[in-house]
Amino acid sequence: MPLVQMANGRLSMTKLIGLLVLLVVPALAGASGGSVSAFSAPPEVAQGRQIYEQYCAACHGGQGEGATAWKKPDEKGEIPPPPHDETGHTWRHNDGMLFKMIAEGWRHPFNKSDRLTMPAFGESLSDQEIGAVIEYLKTLWTDEQLEYQATESQ
Amino acid sequence: MSAIVYHLKSALSRVFPVILAVLMPVLVQAQPAVDTLPMKALTTNSSGNLLVLRESGLTVIENGIATGMSLPPSDSDAKPASLAKGADGSIYLAGPGLGVWRYDGAGERWQSLNNTLPNLGVTAMAAHATQPETLYAYLEEGGMFRSRDGGAKWVKVDNGPEEPVQAFLHSDMPGSMESGWLFAGTTRGVARSMDCFCFWGDAGDLRGTVSAISYDPAAPENIYAVVEGQLHHSADGGETWISLTVPQDVTALAFSPVQGLVVGTASGDLLAPSADGKWSPVHD
Repeated sequence: MPLVQMANGRLSMTKLIGLLVLLVVPALAGASGGSVSAFSAPPEVAQGRQIYEQYCAACHGGQGEGATAWKKPDEKGEIPPPPHDETGHTWRHNDGMLFKMIAEGWRHPFNKSDRLTMPAFGESLSDQEIGAVIEYLKTLWTDEQLEYQATESQ
Repeated sequence: MSAIVYHLKSALSRVFPVILAVLMPVLVQAQPAVDTLPMKALTTNSSGNLLVLRESGLTVIENGIATGMSLPPSDSDAKPASLAKGADGSIYLAGPGLGVWRYDGAGERWQSLNNTLPNLGVTAMAAHATQPETLYAYLEEGGMFRSRDGGAKWVKVDNGPEEPVQAFLHSDMPGSMESGWLFAGTTRGVARSMDCFCFWGDAGDLRGTVSAISYDPAAPENIYAVVEGQLHHSADGGETWISLTVPQDVTALAFSPVQGLVVGTASGDLLAPSADGKWSPVHD
């Protein structure tokens, strides 16, 4: 039975479109896989998410969940990628340190290999793009963590 | 002749009480550094002199002479347990029932830093190796607290390692994401975290209750920890440990700018290793 007829034939096209938006938008937002809706996020956050998915998600997880056993060295003696969500420790670092780590990379001193634990992206991403990634990461944290990180960044 | 002797005796009898009154407090406090009570904690002051905490109280040792220092005012159930030296040479004392105190050398008195701590149950504290205003305190019921303003404001930073912390150390060993590393001696061994409090993990596989921990500021990868009276050394930042043979059970540790590693023992002795590895009393 057509939807218009279900509504006793009184549903105008405008109301129909409105209803469709109400039904479809939450579904689209849910399908986007994160807490940030593509319809509500500031442009920088949306951009940061896109960059995150392209450059970061392969190691840190599509939802920022990190490697499964990130707290212990892997079989190569390297520290696995930590989560960026509220279960990790990204929120404990100030903006400057996060920027530096993304741009320059970082090697955990107790890694058994010499390679960088976190690769450097300063050649691949502009300063603005790195800033956008950081803004996206902030959408993965709790209010308390956001407050802590804001204080650390002062 | 008898008149001279009489006048001399008379003068002495008048002067002697005055001399006694002046010297008595000094004589009572300054004693050779011999005390057989176990050492609870050790540190050095800005002059490089050792400060020793025992059940009998706190003493500073200068040229082999121990001089008593007052303890902070506290309830009778307070247990001074932890000594630390700040990056500016300030001395800190902490313990369960006591909280955290800083010694004001100019005023020769202790200053309470407990206004914003939730309780006084501090089992261990540490001072940042290079930032004079940054302090850390572990509360048995509360977790890890940090102050970045010399103890005026304490903020909870995390719960700490899974096991309760008995001894605490901040080190400026390189490689941290922030400004250094924290080493916590727990009932399970040594836990390590960068000072961002990113994550507490095991520092190697040393197991047992850690009662004291210290490091060599001149070679920060060198960490020393005491587990049940046995001294252990790590030359790689806590990744691997070896035990060191000391002729007595060790109860306290400090790194002196003069003697290097100094241990306090269960018998109340202060020992330091010589170049050939033999341990000898510090003030002989």
